[in-house]
Amino acid sequence: MSYDRPQELLKPIRRRFITLTFTVALLMELLPLPVGSTRWLPDLVAMLILYWAINQPRRIGVGMAFLIGLIADVTTAGLFGQHALAYCITAYLVQLRQNQLVMFNLGQQALVILALLQANQLIMVLVRLASGAAFIGWGYFLPPLIGALLWPLLNKLLLLPYRHHSV
Amino acid sequence: MNFANTPSFTSQGLGPGARLILCVLASLALLVGDSHFGLMDRARDAISVLLYPIQRAVNLPLTAGRHIGDFFVTQAELKQENDRLRSVELAQSGRLMRLQMLERELAQLKALNQLKVGRSDRGQLAEVLYTARDPFSYKIIIDKGLDAGVKPGLPVIDEQGLIGQITRVQPLTSEITLIINKNQMVPVVNLRTGQRTLLYGYGGGVEVRYLSSGSDIRPGDQLVTSGIDDLYQEGIPVARVTRVDRPAGAAFARVLCQSVAGVQSSRYVLILPARSAMPPEPAPAPEPAVKKKKKTTDEDAG
Repeated sequence: MSYDRPQELLKPIRRRFITLTFTVALLMELLPLPVGSTRWLPDLVAMLILYWAINQPRRIGVGMAFLIGLIADVTTAGLFGQHALAYCITAYLVQLRQNQLVMFNLGQQALVILALLQANQLIMVLVRLASGAAFIGWGYFLPPLIGALLWPLLNKLLLLPYRHHSV
Repeated sequence: MNFANTPSFTSQGLGPGARLILCVLASLALLVGDSHFGLMDRARDAISVLLYPIQRAVNLPLTAGRHIGDFFVTQAELKQENDRLRSVELAQSGRLMRLQMLERELAQLKALNQLKVGRSDRGQLAEVLYTARDPFSYKIIIDKGLDAGVKPGLPVIDEQGLIGQITRVQPLTSEITLIINKNQMVPVVNLRTGQRTLLYGYGGGVEVRYLSSGSDIRPGDQLVTSGIDDLYQEGIPVARVTRVDRPAGAAFARVLCQSVAGVQSSRYVLILPARSAMPPEPAPAPEPAVKKKKKTTDEDAG
């Protein structure tokens, strides 16, 4: 992988920007999308939590992941606590290895992200099965693949406003 | 200033492990509270009032786009649609005339027999706002709520048949549980044989359960609501039987069905009013649906 990180100094990241990204992601959850799209659309909020937990571990940790998960529960009208549980566990897993993850290049990170997003889905499936829902098929584990493929793009996008030359 | 990797000598409070345990416990408590006691419904109602304007704002570009798309339809398309609608109207007016006659006749007969006319034709049109993002539950949100007098339990149809039932009413929106949702029950009658059964959703489709393997049911049979549950009016088309398996040694046949209505695709739906001409019930308040329909299996038609 030719793209090694960290390769340049970035401007310090504002809290406002993090809030903005989460707001946009949660608003996108409210968009009325065609019915089939939930079958492949990756969980943007989860990806953002993982991104900020890797790159800004002091700002987004277990507690924040839990709170954002609660908001995600309300916006998706699922079971209360389902996203919160999944997000806080994966955020914790990131925290355990944060100082390694942040040195990985994007390809390696994407692999880790794939595993973490699958863990998210797995936790949510287990929660729903425990509360009496039917298993909805293996297609449910497809979105993390797409999420992992989109991971480099998300990184580039979120770094864009903080390049020095754009001052 | 916080940099990404500054070691946090000064960080206070709980360690990440303890925080995790706290958060996991909190979410487990919420999960249990929500799934067993429904404690969160009120909280969610309150939040939904806040959420509604946001939702509308988010949907605004899309609705605007749709309106603009509607504006630029070509004349040929309009002409075509107009012709089609006219022929449909012609066909239907013929049926309507017959229906009016029949209705009058029926009313007279019922009056003679001192029965009440149970069917009212009013309905309330609602637009589907969005489908809930949760892939586990088959629910849609519509733009009529308490303000429009929607009550939980009312049946919802589209132009082809039954799509579901109102399960949660919020001040400005309400939630429809589709018939394909898990354990959503509809009492139906087989149009060909007149046999009454229960149609169950299993999460993504519908099937007839608890029908003995010797019973007369074939692929292609039409199932309509039987109307003996004081909830659904009789005669709303619900599903068509697609496959019947009679496994050897099993007591019940496995009957797979296909819902008639565009359960997951219709944009406009009609909320039917509650059946008014029923004798007063012994129970004080109508519960939202699911538990009440069990009694239909062995009742007799009037």
